Amino acid sequence: MRKVQAALAILGVVAMALVLASCGSSGGKEGGTLHGTYASFPDALDPALARTVEAWTAMYDTYLPLLTYAHADGEAGSKVVPALAESLPKVSKDGKTYTLTLHKGLKYSDGTPVKASDFPASVERMFKLNSGGSPFYTGIVGAEKFAETKSGGISGIKADDKTGQITIQLTKPRGTFTSELALMYVAVLPADTPAKNMTADPPPATGPYEIVKSQPGRGWSYDRNPQWEKANGKLIASVPSGHLDKIDIKVVSNPSTQVNEVERGSSDWMQTTIPTDLYNSVKEKYEGSQFRVEPTISNYFFWMNTTKPPFDDLKVRQAVNYALNGAAMERVYAGTLKANQQILPPGMPGYKKIELYPYNMAKAKELIAEASPSDRDVTVWVDDEDPNNQAAAYYQGVLKKLGFNAKLKEIAAEDFFPLIGNQSTPDLDTGWLDWYEDYPHPNDFFQPLLAGESILPQENSNLAQIDDPKLNAKIARLEEEPLGPKQEAEYADLDREYMEQAPWAPYGSRTVSTFVSDAIDLEDIVFNPTFGQDLASFQLK
Amino acid sequence: MVEGSQPAGAAPTGAGPWGVALRRLRRNRLVLAALALFVLIVLFSLAAPLWAVHVAHTGPNTTHTLAKVEVDGEKREVVDPTGKPTGPLWFGAGGRFFLGADGSLGRDEMVRLMYGGRTSLFISLIAALITTALGAALGLLAGYFRGWPDTLISRALDVIWAFPVLLLAIALGLVLAVGGLQIGPVTIPSGSIWIPIMVISVVFVTYTARPVRGEVLSLREKEFVEAAVAQGAGPARVMFGELLPNLWSTIIVFFTINVANSMLLESALSFLGVGVQPPNASWGTMIATGSTLIKSAPLLTILPGAMILLTVLALNVLGDGLRDALDPKSKLRLEVHAGLAEPEGTPV
Repeated sequence: MRKVQAALAILGVVAMALVLASCGSSGGKEGGTLHGTYASFPDALDPALARTVEAWTAMYDTYLPLLTYAHADGEAGSKVVPALAESLPKVSKDGKTYTLTLHKGLKYSDGTPVKASDFPASVERMFKLNSGGSPFYTGIVGAEKFAETKSGGISGIKADDKTGQITIQLTKPRGTFTSELALMYVAVLPADTPAKNMTADPPPATGPYEIVKSQPGRGWSYDRNPQWEKANGKLIASVPSGHLDKIDIKVVSNPSTQVNEVERGSSDWMQTTIPTDLYNSVKEKYEGSQFRVEPTISNYFFWMNTTKPPFDDLKVRQAVNYALNGAAMERVYAGTLKANQQILPPGMPGYKKIELYPYNMAKAKELIAEASPSDRDVTVWVDDEDPNNQAAAYYQGVLKKLGFNAKLKEIAAEDFFPLIGNQSTPDLDTGWLDWYEDYPHPNDFFQPLLAGESILPQENSNLAQIDDPKLNAKIARLEEEPLGPKQEAEYADLDREYMEQAPWAPYGSRTVSTFVSDAIDLEDIVFNPTFGQDLASFQLK
Repeated sequence: MVEGSQPAGAAPTGAGPWGVALRRLRRNRLVLAALALFVLIVLFSLAAPLWAVHVAHTGPNTTHTLAKVEVDGEKREVVDPTGKPTGPLWFGAGGRFFLGADGSLGRDEMVRLMYGGRTSLFISLIAALITTALGAALGLLAGYFRGWPDTLISRALDVIWAFPVLLLAIALGLVLAVGGLQIGPVTIPSGSIWIPIMVISVVFVTYTARPVRGEVLSLREKEFVEAAVAQGAGPARVMFGELLPNLWSTIIVFFTINVANSMLLESALSFLGVGVQPPNASWGTMIATGSTLIKSAPLLTILPGAMILLTVLALNVLGDGLRDALDPKSKLRLEVHAGLAEPEGTPV
């Protein structure tokens, strides 16, 4: 009987061990080195300055803000969770005061303690560097003045190093502010970090990995943050510790070479989307085992300048929407685009599918005949990246079919936005643009791109120059309210109201891809909609 | 009359220098083949509208992303749902998409190749004409007058010479591609093919002007120039009446070389997006479009590349042949330099 009991006990222990082993990790190896490639060096390896997904992917597990986005795929990854702060902020009843408390015992990778006063210093550093992220934080009391003078501190942020408490005072309620506190721009750095681009000499980290070598233009490397296991990792439950010991990233400017390297196994992962030419063959060969399609929360569209003929006429803008065929655009993007015809993309809170302008060339021509625009000379602006330039060439053909004398103007990608955002540039009639979410809040697709206050002489992001007082007021009101089901429904209505005005001809959301070598466990890889692939989720088989 | 015989009593007539050159040219079969190839390429390009209207039934910029063509009684998509264009259909669809489609926009590759040839040839011929004329005029002025006009012109040319051709052309192309060009009352809008023509003309001018200047410096010391001056000829008469006729052979040779170089530069600029502006076809823009599909549809890159190669090869062989025919001494000089012939007058 005793023998039976002993045998049962052993079986029980073995079974429990098996159950435990199957939880969490899918059985991959801990440790090892990941060799990855980027097609170009990110815009900055400095959290205050980085504006691109590529850079945010590189720093997601290195520099932590007070809050962060959950290290999860899809909708779950849009959730704001505490990072360096103990919990989500306490917001005052008037919606203008945010209070957070820093975890006690946090350390930077160089061993120095993380202090509450590092947060205001990091925000000030961001303003001193004229970061592209600074407009998100000008609502903090004293921030606008600091942005101009660069001295005297930001009076609206109070930090107590003893208690770890941080209080942020806003000039008016801002429903998006919690989301904005989780952006990379306000990742906490030591207060003495120089106010200059630190890409070549990255500051110490707070996340599970630290950047130990950075060679701008060539590549960079990570090691595990020695303080993560000792201190930070025990306090921050929302950020995974990672499986790899080292990560080496090198720049390989030719995406076809990147694909070859992953196929050969000399590289384990390519951050870049697979080039059009190889996309379908790679997808066919490796989907499910080494390749996965990832949705993005993005909108690809053609804007139409509503202040100038011929696009000042609603009928003309509606005609363009009717004439643009989503199925054709999906082919132009070789299967990496999902057709969509509205402001909010799928996956964004508030998205509710609408299709006001199903493809109908006859109806489009009818509307043009009714509008009878006298000015038919239009310039179509696009950057020189494939297949965006192909999409614009297709759009030019559509405009020609509608009777316009459309001229294509293709501009180098790095010059494109400064040029079309400068209102003194002549012939800004219509053109291409894409927009990826900065953070998962519908305001990010309305306020910068369609609100009247966003029409600026330079760096203009409201390229359609639509300025509807009623819709502007709705954007401003919703911006102040915390996002909930009621607000999401109102954003869906706003989407429809804007599309009725047709300032854009939206045509879809892009997909990107994760492609890894057969040494990597594809299933475990997390793709966050804001930050891209989570390096801490990569694991060798 | 027997070949080579002379009618009795007639004064002996010799062929002029141009006649001699033509005779030499006719004897050079390689040059004749190059000329024939160049003429064929020109005819191929000139026939573009005929092919587009009567055979392909489409224009060079017309897109066919969702269109279908009938091939041997079967409907086939020009671009498949994954964005891959059809390959060459030859005459399977009555000549439509003879060389296939050019990418996800489904434009007819053959039509674009022919129209692209027109654009590339037009730009390179006009640019070569401008750069040769301008270079010859500047070289003539600098070499004849010497002194401060020479200093002024030569230093200005040095400035252009100081920049690598491609970099200078890219810089000019980038600036002009956005704002266009305005010189006094003349406005060239951005996107016009006159922009690459102007850019190419400017960057190559020094390559003609310098050798012409050197030759003029030598020629102006010759007796026939002294004789003309002694007879009271003014500078214009000496330059255009005496010196220029002696420069024609050099200028013609430079013109053919300039056409070839202009074509290469136009292709490079268009490939880099600062030459011919899309969607207009040139062989350079076609290589740029094709390069995105180099693995799945290599013909889209190879075809325009081969056209450039053949045209430039034909023009270079033609230029060499012309130089040999117009100035046989230069060939001898080159052969002596290469050790293939004995220098004239050297005792054996």
